[in-house]
Amino acid sequence: MSKPSDLIQGTLDLLILNTISLEPQHGWAIAKRIQQVSNEVLQVSQGALYPALHRLEQQGWISSDWRVTEGGRDAKFYTLTRAGRAQLRKELAQWERLSSAVGLVIRMGASA
Amino acid sequence: MIRLFDILVLRLRSLFGRTRVESELDRELSFHLDHLTQENRAHGMSADDARAAAKRSLGGYTQIQEECRDMRRTNYIETIWNDLRYAVRTLARTPGFTIVIVLTLALSIGANSAIFSVIQGVLLRPLPYPHPDRLVRIYFNSDTQPKFPLNPYDFRDFRQRNRTFESMAGMTRHDVQLAGIGSEPVMLRGFAVSGGYFGTLGISPARGRDFSFDDEQPGRSRVAILSDHLWRARFASDPGILGRTIKLNTESYTVIGIMPPGAQHPGNNFQAVADGETVDVWTQFIFDEDPKYRGSHYMDIIGRLKSGIGSEQGHADLSAVLEQLKKEKTGDGWRVYLIPLYQETVGRSQRMLLVLLGAVGLLLLIACVNAANLLLARSSARVREIAVRSALGAARGRIVRQLLTESMVIALAGAALGTMLAVGGVRVLLTFLPADFPRASAIRLDSTVFAFTLIVAVLTGLLFGLVPALTASRTDLQQSLREGARGSTGGASQLRLRNFLVVGETGLACVLLIAAGLMLHSFVNLLRADPGFKPQQVLTASLSLPYPRYHENSRVAFYKQLIANLQLLPGVESVGAGSDLPWTGYDGNMDGWRVEGRSDAYNDKTTARYHIASPDYFRALGIPLLNGRFFDGHEPEKGPYVVIINESMANRYWPGESAVGKRISFDDHPKEKDWIQIIGIVRDVKDQPDSTSIRPAFWMPHSQQTDGNLFIAVRSSSDPVLLANQFRQAVRQQDPELAVADLRLMNQIAGSALSTQRFSLFLIGLFALLALVLATFGMYGVISYSVNQRMHEFGLRMALGARPWDLLRLILSQGLTLSIIGAATGLLCAAGLTKLLGTLLYGVSATDPLTFAAVGLLALATTTLASYLPARRAADADPMQSLRAE
Repeated sequence: MSKPSDLIQGTLDLLILNTISLEPQHGWAIAKRIQQVSNEVLQVSQGALYPALHRLEQQGWISSDWRVTEGGRDAKFYTLTRAGRAQLRKELAQWERLSSAVGLVIRMGASA
Repeated sequence: MIRLFDILVLRLRSLFGRTRVESELDRELSFHLDHLTQENRAHGMSADDARAAAKRSLGGYTQIQEECRDMRRTNYIETIWNDLRYAVRTLARTPGFTIVIVLTLALSIGANSAIFSVIQGVLLRPLPYPHPDRLVRIYFNSDTQPKFPLNPYDFRDFRQRNRTFESMAGMTRHDVQLAGIGSEPVMLRGFAVSGGYFGTLGISPARGRDFSFDDEQPGRSRVAILSDHLWRARFASDPGILGRTIKLNTESYTVIGIMPPGAQHPGNNFQAVADGETVDVWTQFIFDEDPKYRGSHYMDIIGRLKSGIGSEQGHADLSAVLEQLKKEKTGDGWRVYLIPLYQETVGRSQRMLLVLLGAVGLLLLIACVNAANLLLARSSARVREIAVRSALGAARGRIVRQLLTESMVIALAGAALGTMLAVGGVRVLLTFLPADFPRASAIRLDSTVFAFTLIVAVLTGLLFGLVPALTASRTDLQQSLREGARGSTGGASQLRLRNFLVVGETGLACVLLIAAGLMLHSFVNLLRADPGFKPQQVLTASLSLPYPRYHENSRVAFYKQLIANLQLLPGVESVGAGSDLPWTGYDGNMDGWRVEGRSDAYNDKTTARYHIASPDYFRALGIPLLNGRFFDGHEPEKGPYVVIINESMANRYWPGESAVGKRISFDDHPKEKDWIQIIGIVRDVKDQPDSTSIRPAFWMPHSQQTDGNLFIAVRSSSDPVLLANQFRQAVRQQDPELAVADLRLMNQIAGSALSTQRFSLFLIGLFALLALVLATFGMYGVISYSVNQRMHEFGLRMALGARPWDLLRLILSQGLTLSIIGAATGLLCAAGLTKLLGTLLYGVSATDPLTFAAVGLLALATTTLASYLPARRAADADPMQSLRAE
């Protein structure tokens, strides 16, 4: 169902949740922010971003409302919900575990 | 849980707020597009190029939209919609199948809804008073009396001294005659009630006020409260009636209140009037007797417990008050008996209703099994279609869902049709309902019943759809396609499953048939039992002589004259008057009378029903004299006193000797003139046709124990209905202001005494019949399916020399095996279950061998018949054709 993406499956959710954990953001800003913070390494395709946002909203992890941007335009802002914050903590922990495990395996493989 | 709810709300919003969601999505994406464009322009592109590049990088716009929709799961619901349309189309293609299955389900779902509406109205709906759980009925009981009304003064002491009741009120039957206002006088059903009666129930008059404690004092003017229907029917809804006086029993009563429509009598026990809007008028009960004499008990008490107080606490409290009273030399031998009003009201119908619910539940189960069987047969005919769909890539879950949608459509169609049937069914039920059935007025189809029907339908759809759906989706693709090509269907495992279902169906039907059989047996027993009187050709009515105009002597004179006048009518054989008629629930008792020559301890335990009778009372009702003589009508008013007793009284108190000539007395220290001599013994008559025991009873002659309220029985040699007008005339001639009430045939009374049994027998019988039809149908389906499947084999057998008879026997034995297993299972289950029928049975054991044998045979016979038709078809088939058809 999902479009091919540069991101490992599931990490996009983590990135989105993490990005809006500081303050509510609209879709464009989320994509830009991920891009900037990762030094342009992670390119979030719009075709993946919006379905993911809608899915997260359906799960109840984020909520959305229409606000006026600094530029004076209407945009849909996404906010982390309480359940979303819990989910973010869970996913972060999982990610830490996974990445350290992967790192371990790779290092062991290199030393062999 | 909350999260689940939130998600549900979000899904629903996505589904129903679809246009809004779509337009929001549109705006969101175009916002993104604009930013992209701006960014591109910042990189130095022209406006058009920038926009085109943005569009390119955004990718397929509609694809994103579609995916977002997917994420919102609205597609899921669209799939259901498609399944639904497909299901309806498929079902419409086989109308015969669909109609049969929907009809059988509609019948059983309808029956369930109808019975549930009765359960809902009678058992589940709260009583029509605020905080009904705090209302209790208060009785006395003793070693001889299970449930006895109170004396008004005992009640008043309870009311004054208790600590656990918010309020307490007493009522006693007080029918009154409303003098004709330009029309015939009528008897009104009434109760005399204590002050604050309606307040205790928690209802209040629509106009005017409740009875007050002041009104209870003797010497005050008499006051009455009218029911809404009496006010409308007799006083033309005139609000000016408040404060005016009306004549009841020729005495003046001031109308102080009018009850609102729907104000219900809670039902009472002594001289019972069923609950509901059954009372016309309430009058004030006045405490004008001597509180020292508390021997006569006639008050039904209702109490409202204080909030938070349980009925056990109430019971303990009143028992303590009763102990005090005993120290004050009253209330001896009595105990307090408290029962919640709800239990008192529905108690005796509870078992019957639950049995009925069980029966319709079984019927629904049978219909489910039947539907599953039909679906299985059909799914095997659809094996190819399903195989092709799986071959084209449909997942198993998808196929199961499609098939389940079909069964759901069937179930819901059945429920819709069933609800219509239930609407009519409930109307029929209500007309069939026994006259004194508790809370009959609360029975109707309401939203709870509809919700019940919907839930039942969904569960039914799942129940009968799941097994066939799983079986069908599990089919081996290759084999199906291959088998399909050869034109044969299904497999051995399917046949096993169908056999199992048909065995189950037969078994369930047997359980219902046994229940119906036992009830039929009981009913026949009741009809065949000798009632002890002859109800044929007897006209009955009741008269009530208003006290102020008729005193002791004039009452006797009135009835003597009336009886003499009636006797002169053509065709009249005998005319009697008495305190009551058989099988009408009369419950006047006299306890603690003395038997001459016995100890005080013995006499404390004596009990009997007391009645009053005129000389020809027994002859008119056809109650035979066993010993001694009837009254002759010349019993002197001041004694020597005489009495007639029933067999049970003679046997209990004078066992092994002749009771005629023996004496009893109602006085604790009888002088010679206080003794009452027994002059005759009559045949026992039960309280109700299904009473298990008979209480001792005696009759006093009307000339020695006068009463203004008597029932008249006229035995005629011709049709007694024809006497009705002459009867009225005879009464009018003597007193034009007297109302004739309860004009009925004794046959009708006897018939309605069996109405509860008739009602439950009719329903259980109907359900059992439906069950039998369904089971027969199921058997036919299975056998006929297996015959179709084996036509080729049969052709081969015939070709090899088997005769038609051999085939017939082969197939019949297959059907017989199934029905024997089914019937045996059913009879075993029934043996365990029929104990639940309990008191609904009369004179027949719950494991009556005759009924069990008859039902077993019936089940075998019908199912054999069901397998005979397909067997015949196989035997008659031309072997060449069967072989060629393959």
